[in-house]
Amino acid sequence: MPAWLRLGPALLLGVAAAMLAALCVGRYPLPPADILRFLGAAAGLWEMPTREFDTLFNLIVRIRLPRVLAAVLVGMSLATAGAAFQGVFRNPLVSPGLLGVLAGAAFGAALGIVLDLPWAMVQLLAFLMGVAAVTAGVGIATLFGNGSVIMMVLGGVISGALFTSLLSMVKYVADPYNQLPAIVHWLMGSLALADLDQIGVLIIPIGIGVALLCTLGRALDALTMGDDEARALGVPVQALRILIVALATLISALTVSLAGIIGWVGLIVPHIARLLVGPGNAALLPTSAALGACFLLAADGISRTVATTEIPIGIVTELIGVVAFVLVLGRVRKGWL
Amino acid sequence: MVVSDRPVLVAHDIRHAYRGRVVLQGAGLTLRPGEVVALLGANGAGKSTLLRILLGLLRPTAGQVTLADIPLAAYPRRQLAGLIAYVPQVHSTPFPYTVRQIVGMGRLPASGLFAAPSADDRRAVDQAIARLGIAPLADTPYTEISGGERQLALIARALAQGSRLLVMDEPASGLDYGNQIALLALLRSLAVDGYGILKTTHHPDHVLAGADRVALLRDGRIVADGDPADVLTGERLSELYGVAVAPVRLPDGRRVVAPLLPEERR
Repeated sequence: MPAWLRLGPALLLGVAAAMLAALCVGRYPLPPADILRFLGAAAGLWEMPTREFDTLFNLIVRIRLPRVLAAVLVGMSLATAGAAFQGVFRNPLVSPGLLGVLAGAAFGAALGIVLDLPWAMVQLLAFLMGVAAVTAGVGIATLFGNGSVIMMVLGGVISGALFTSLLSMVKYVADPYNQLPAIVHWLMGSLALADLDQIGVLIIPIGIGVALLCTLGRALDALTMGDDEARALGVPVQALRILIVALATLISALTVSLAGIIGWVGLIVPHIARLLVGPGNAALLPTSAALGACFLLAADGISRTVATTEIPIGIVTELIGVVAFVLVLGRVRKGWL
Repeated sequence: MVVSDRPVLVAHDIRHAYRGRVVLQGAGLTLRPGEVVALLGANGAGKSTLLRILLGLLRPTAGQVTLADIPLAAYPRRQLAGLIAYVPQVHSTPFPYTVRQIVGMGRLPASGLFAAPSADDRRAVDQAIARLGIAPLADTPYTEISGGERQLALIARALAQGSRLLVMDEPASGLDYGNQIALLALLRSLAVDGYGILKTTHHPDHVLAGADRVALLRDGRIVADGDPADVLTGERLSELYGVAVAPVRLPDGRRVVAPLLPEERR
């Protein structure tokens, strides 16, 4: 049985429990029983007074559900992409931003804000520029090297630097009263703008991307052994590497268009997953996906309860990430460095 | 493609240049199931390049390699992996895979990239681990075992792969003296089981003790190929490595090679 199928029930149950908990917390805390009563009533299993139903519908479905779903999608995308990148680049300290996807997407969104585009266009531009940055980095690697791992990393560094400087340029010309704060705020990441229609669209490519990555686990194991060994094991190295980078880039860029830049999830969550299920990617990738969802649900819960105004989630994940990373480093004895 | 179960690997007049530098200029070699062939040569003689070409990892500038009379390039990657296995030099991995996971990677060509390991795959992995006597280490991280044990794990992976031909890059490197001798015995017993083994080595004594045939590679050319006792003369070895050595005959008729340091040469 594939590892993701064997682990599947436990992982799904964990994510479902975390989602239920996330629906409970907020400015008006709800007991889990209320949510289950509401779900039963919505499914037609039992009756509920209309007024109470409407209040709960507003709170649960209109206000909390979009960000809970967004947290799940963003968290699992970033964590899966991070684990996949760590395998492809044979380095446990790599995060999904390595090839410039975040720098590119940040530039795209800032450009959209400065050009006063409608929000949907800003998101599209962020996605496209994220993909463009990685394409540029990988293009440089293939053009001037042979597409080897080290050339891809260098290509990503160049492309990341290019798009970061373009972002600075856009920030410099932005109107300092409205546009600049919007850019800065967006760069800190937020799930507040998530809406159900958009999530309904993004859930398809993200779901497909994460699922495909999860099926590539065994091949990715071989890839981490080095190009020659992987090839001698029958793995089409170059094609596999491009496929994994493309899928990871796609889902990371989509998260940026949904929620801005949320750091550390892609770096820290795969480490925690590795402590739980070991380094085999067939189990590691789905576990990272589930833990990533839970991690971001927790971060979002903190971001909207700890203060009277919401704290940008990117700040929360960075703070939690730093602490978690120190704890993980302390617990790790088996040399993955 | 249907291939006989005793495929012969042949390199025909391989020439290879890399960035204008000629690495191989007419190297020919044959590997049959059931024999241990050693490839001897100084650093930079082109051993690793020839190995990569024989494994189909590198396409030579001229000449070709055939397996069972079919050019290597004509094989699908996955089928080739079922016929020839690569045993790299002992290395470390960035992630702490268990020995069982490392050996399990050898099942990729049989099961396909996307499938989960089947009961057959698990059985093959267990057999390979048992054959090399590393069952007690099966669930230990590869990063925590010794160099000798890692070499055994990598050979077990090659056996799990199901290939009859094994190409080994300096299998003795990084092993202590006892493990080197144990390795010679292991390779001999694998050859008796029908495996064809090609290994590069820096130890003439290992060739005399453990190989059926030896090929000497010098400046990109195979300069001698045959029975180790005939090929490894003091003259050839001195020429190959640019140092003085003297073959010594043991009382039981076997030979070893002793180095001569400058003050001993008089």
